[in-house]
Amino acid sequence: MTLSVSDLRVERAGRIILHPTSLDIEPGARIGLVGSSGSGKSTLGHALIDDLQRQGRVVAQVPQSPDEALDPLRTMAFHWREAEKALGLNHDKQRRQQLFSALRIEHGDLRKRPWGWSRGMQQRFVIAMALIGSPELIVLDEPTSALDPVVAADTMDLLDKFLSGRRTAMILITHDLGLAARRVSQLMVMDAGNIVENALTTDLLERPKTQAARALAAHRSWLELPC
Amino acid sequence: MTFAILGLVLRAAVVVTGAALLTFVLLWNAPGDPAMAIAQARYNFVVPTEVLEQVRAESGLDAGFWAAFKDWIGPLLVGDFGRSSVTGREVWPDLVTAIGYTVPLALMGLAIGLAIALPLAALAARNPGSVLDRVCVALASVGVAIPQYWLGLLLILLFAVHLGWLPAMGARSTANLVLPALTLGLGVAASLTRIIRSGILEARNQSFLPAIRRRGVSPSSIERDHVAPHAAIPVVTVLGLELAFLLEGVVVVEVIFGRPGLGGFLVTAIGARDFPKVQAVVLLTALLFVIINLLIDIFYQVLDPRIGEHDA
Repeated sequence: MTLSVSDLRVERAGRIILHPTSLDIEPGARIGLVGSSGSGKSTLGHALIDDLQRQGRVVAQVPQSPDEALDPLRTMAFHWREAEKALGLNHDKQRRQQLFSALRIEHGDLRKRPWGWSRGMQQRFVIAMALIGSPELIVLDEPTSALDPVVAADTMDLLDKFLSGRRTAMILITHDLGLAARRVSQLMVMDAGNIVENALTTDLLERPKTQAARALAAHRSWLELPC
Repeated sequence: MTFAILGLVLRAAVVVTGAALLTFVLLWNAPGDPAMAIAQARYNFVVPTEVLEQVRAESGLDAGFWAAFKDWIGPLLVGDFGRSSVTGREVWPDLVTAIGYTVPLALMGLAIGLAIALPLAALAARNPGSVLDRVCVALASVGVAIPQYWLGLLLILLFAVHLGWLPAMGARSTANLVLPALTLGLGVAASLTRIIRSGILEARNQSFLPAIRRRGVSPSSIERDHVAPHAAIPVVTVLGLELAFLLEGVVVVEVIFGRPGLGGFLVTAIGARDFPKVQAVVLLTALLFVIINLLIDIFYQVLDPRIGEHDA
């Protein structure tokens, strides 16, 4: 079922940081939300999640850094159980094993606290946790910027593989057009709180129409990372 | 682990010996003749020179500072606190009696303080900046500013004189404990309220909370599982300091309410230059501080296992 939001709008301290925005997201869609810092990508991401959750849809979020997703005083097992309970699910060891092996963290010690795991593993744990309830949409907000390029690429590969053939849609928020280009089929470019361009990835990369998209595409040409 | 314990014992020994030596130096060098002070406390009138010299010799004051210090600390190493220079009675049984009055008072003060501060802080933190919050913070500020000797007298005036509900003086029954404990507890509650409130507000500001909320975890679960444990860390620090404040406050409160206890024990001993008694209290207090700090260190590691993960 298509996920729809209309007229999302965010104002902070009297300033509009997200102009009225409407979106339709098809099941299984792979959307990249790109733009420079401060263009309103994360704001749109948060507003989108909150609105869809109010509609009763199952939407999961993966923040930029595991520090923004995990409580350092709580064990991994606690986080997992808490996420299950929040979704109204019973504890299912098999589901956990399946997600853990999909993201290759099956050897992580769940009795440890987040800082007992490497950051790459923490981030994969957060992604695995986001997938517990088979969400209709997973929003990843700069999910790899806290990781080194190799680990980041691995993590995205594992997620891609897991999602392929599933109905879970993905929105990848990033300022890195190159990362987005490899992972998504549709790109939305944001600038000053507006979606200024929305096109298929190949079209947008070859024929950027707006200044913001051209700037991002140009920036990408001298930056080659494996992810 | 063995090294850690050995280090702690060593640290405790240094603190306790340091405190004992320092008090001995201060007491020894305080203005006036210690022998005279002891003699006056003992006989209650001005004594002739021969008696004074006799007292000086008996108390070991004529042998010099180090000899006197050695005379005191030597028997202590085998658990002998010595005898009072004034009464000649053993120090330890009297000290135990005094502690028996003081510790319940201090603990009850702390309990009352926590019982008032926890709900008040939770109430204030519910809606920061609101009228309710401001009233709670203002109450706490007033509480910190009120000196205990004044608060104690006010409480006596209200509950003992006007209402006649509770006894004002003495230590005959549990009812006697209420007013002094309340005096101590209100002071403790005031400072604790502020700390707990800001601890809660700071804990609510943590970067990972929005993500946990978007995971669908209920606000009450977030408060219980993620806010409270983080808020507890600064509160535990302050609780340790608060106990120190209590021991200090106990002296004043015990005098106001005419309660026997460590306060009276210490004040008369200092007046009479009763070295063994003063030293016993100082030693015990230093030891108590070391133990409280140790307990707090351990409690920290229970609360936040990151602490002590790499050292210790």
